[in-house]
Amino acid sequence: MPLTWRFLDTIEALVAALWPARWRGATGWAFLMPALLLVGVLVIGLGYMLEYSLHELNLATYRLRDEYALTNYATFLNRPVYGTVLWRTVLGSVLVTGITLLLAFPYAYVLVRTRVPWVRKALLVTLFLPFFIGQVVRAYGWLIVLGREGLVNSLLTGLGLPAQDLLFHFPAVIFGLVQYMLPFAILLIVPAITAIPEDMERASESLGAPWPATFRHVVLPMAWPGLIGAGVVVFTLTMTDFAMPEILGGGTTDFFASAIYDSFFQISNPGLGAALSMVLVTLGSLIVAAVFALAGPGTLGIRGART
Amino acid sequence: MNPVVELTRVSKTFGDIRAVSEASLSVARGDFLTVVGPSGCGKTTLLRMIAGFETPSSGEIRINGDRVDVVPPYRRSIGMVFQKLALFPHMTAAQNIAYPLKMRRFAPRVIPGLVKQYLELVQLGGLGDRRPHELSGGQQQRVAIARALVFSPDLLLLDEPLSALDRKLREEMQLEFRRIQRELAVTTINVTHDQREALVMSDQIVVMDQGVIQQAATPQALYRQPANRFVAHFLGVTTLLDGRVVRVGDDGDVAVQVGDTVLQARGVGQALVTGAPVDCAIRAERIGMAAHGQPGLDNTVDGVVLQRIFEGDRVVYVVRVPALGDAVLSLFDRDADVHETTTEGQSVRLAWQARDLMVFAKQT
Repeated sequence: MPLTWRFLDTIEALVAALWPARWRGATGWAFLMPALLLVGVLVIGLGYMLEYSLHELNLATYRLRDEYALTNYATFLNRPVYGTVLWRTVLGSVLVTGITLLLAFPYAYVLVRTRVPWVRKALLVTLFLPFFIGQVVRAYGWLIVLGREGLVNSLLTGLGLPAQDLLFHFPAVIFGLVQYMLPFAILLIVPAITAIPEDMERASESLGAPWPATFRHVVLPMAWPGLIGAGVVVFTLTMTDFAMPEILGGGTTDFFASAIYDSFFQISNPGLGAALSMVLVTLGSLIVAAVFALAGPGTLGIRGART
Repeated sequence: MNPVVELTRVSKTFGDIRAVSEASLSVARGDFLTVVGPSGCGKTTLLRMIAGFETPSSGEIRINGDRVDVVPPYRRSIGMVFQKLALFPHMTAAQNIAYPLKMRRFAPRVIPGLVKQYLELVQLGGLGDRRPHELSGGQQQRVAIARALVFSPDLLLLDEPLSALDRKLREEMQLEFRRIQRELAVTTINVTHDQREALVMSDQIVVMDQGVIQQAATPQALYRQPANRFVAHFLGVTTLLDGRVVRVGDDGDVAVQVGDTVLQARGVGQALVTGAPVDCAIRAERIGMAAHGQPGLDNTVDGVVLQRIFEGDRVVYVVRVPALGDAVLSLFDRDADVHETTTEGQSVRLAWQARDLMVFAKQT
């Protein structure tokens, strides 16, 4: 018998001794345990968060009072600044999601469909390169490129044009976030396009549809679950993003995560921070749930009913 | 009558690879033409060029007399059934069939009637609301053909749509496709690697190998008068023998030496000259086993049964013949009595007529 056979047979015998056949039904659950534990820990953390959010800060001791109160939620509702920041966060997330999907789809489409090997390689390398550079480093990179004395402005002044304020406002934050989210969105859309056989597009063409019609009636509907999935991921990541608004917004265009951070670490009010976190988690969950309800259960292609 | 499709010296190269080489053919209105050949022979590339998915490297393609080399697929009047059907999964059967009508700007009021008419043509009345994945393989085939025909195209292309079906369903669908094709009299080009499908369905067959058209003829002519060794071998169960011409007579009569034996044979295609090396081919159903007495045959040889393969309606014998340079011949026998008595290792006598041994000049 070849050595590899004997080796594999030994492993099989060991497994059979340690994990008898009658336990086989539980194998799947055993592999699922770590993931379930992780989710469980998160749920417990969320429970603690909820508990914190229901206690007011005692300004004399800087500790949370023992009795339950809705003061923190009242603070959120009474201070217009939180409403403004939350609205800015949601609006920003919607914008970033829309722009990212718009840019990611053609990139993913060309990546999947191109027949030229070097184009595919170039697109793949460009896709993965940003993952090697963390978000904070990238944000600082944009500071250098877009700053008052930065690359873009020195080009502009070199051409005799006036220097522009490219940083520390809403569009700069949106730009940075789109740039950050793009690779995630592409990675999620690529499988959706790969799943569309090229003959579907050819069939549509032979049936009389020029490419724009083929795109609208065949490619888009078939890629829809992947687009929804990518949209949900980008939306939730943006909703909770901290670094980009902080650095590229320069404190002028905080997102909600900054407000939470400030509550915890600037004004040392964990109760308020927890309450704001609960607001963000609830709002995000509601929006995602609404999207899934509208897009149907087949979203992400999990149901596999599409053949 | 002018042909619907006409290809003139069409070639297609991919890099260094010549997928199709100087292919010329024409299809008359209402005819069913099958392009048949082993995989990689260029038949699919040929079909794609006719459909408009590939542009020929040289040569011209005409449909109804107009050159279409650079016309995009959506401007050609061609219905195509794809190998994997390519039914749109997010549409119902009826929506799939309505799709070409909408894209080709048919008046909205005529669309429901046409969809219904074609659903009935393919015997799917009442199943229009089903999604493709709710239909069986055969029903999906029917939707695909209805979708390809509903806008009355000048030409129907079939890209091996039956190859994924199991044998029984495939044979049923072959006859069904043929029925629909005859009923609508639509000019059709079919591509397949299945020689049986080609023989069953076609008015005309084109045999391709290595990008070159080997022969174009009716099924009968192709089977009885193959132009060369490849065509003879591709259709039917055929034994090929290497030989040398020893005498050329009148009317294609030739004598060839195979191994130590001189056989009476029939020259096919190019003129033969004495002494030239040739390919000889004989079909399995043309060889008789003389064990049960078949007098008056032109060629008789002795051999030993190597293998006996029972196939139900017939038995295939593989016989080694020492006198033909240890050649191995395949033959059928449908005689039940012989089935019972002939065993492996037994000596048998084989015999056949001179006209059944086809001789081709060696191809260079």
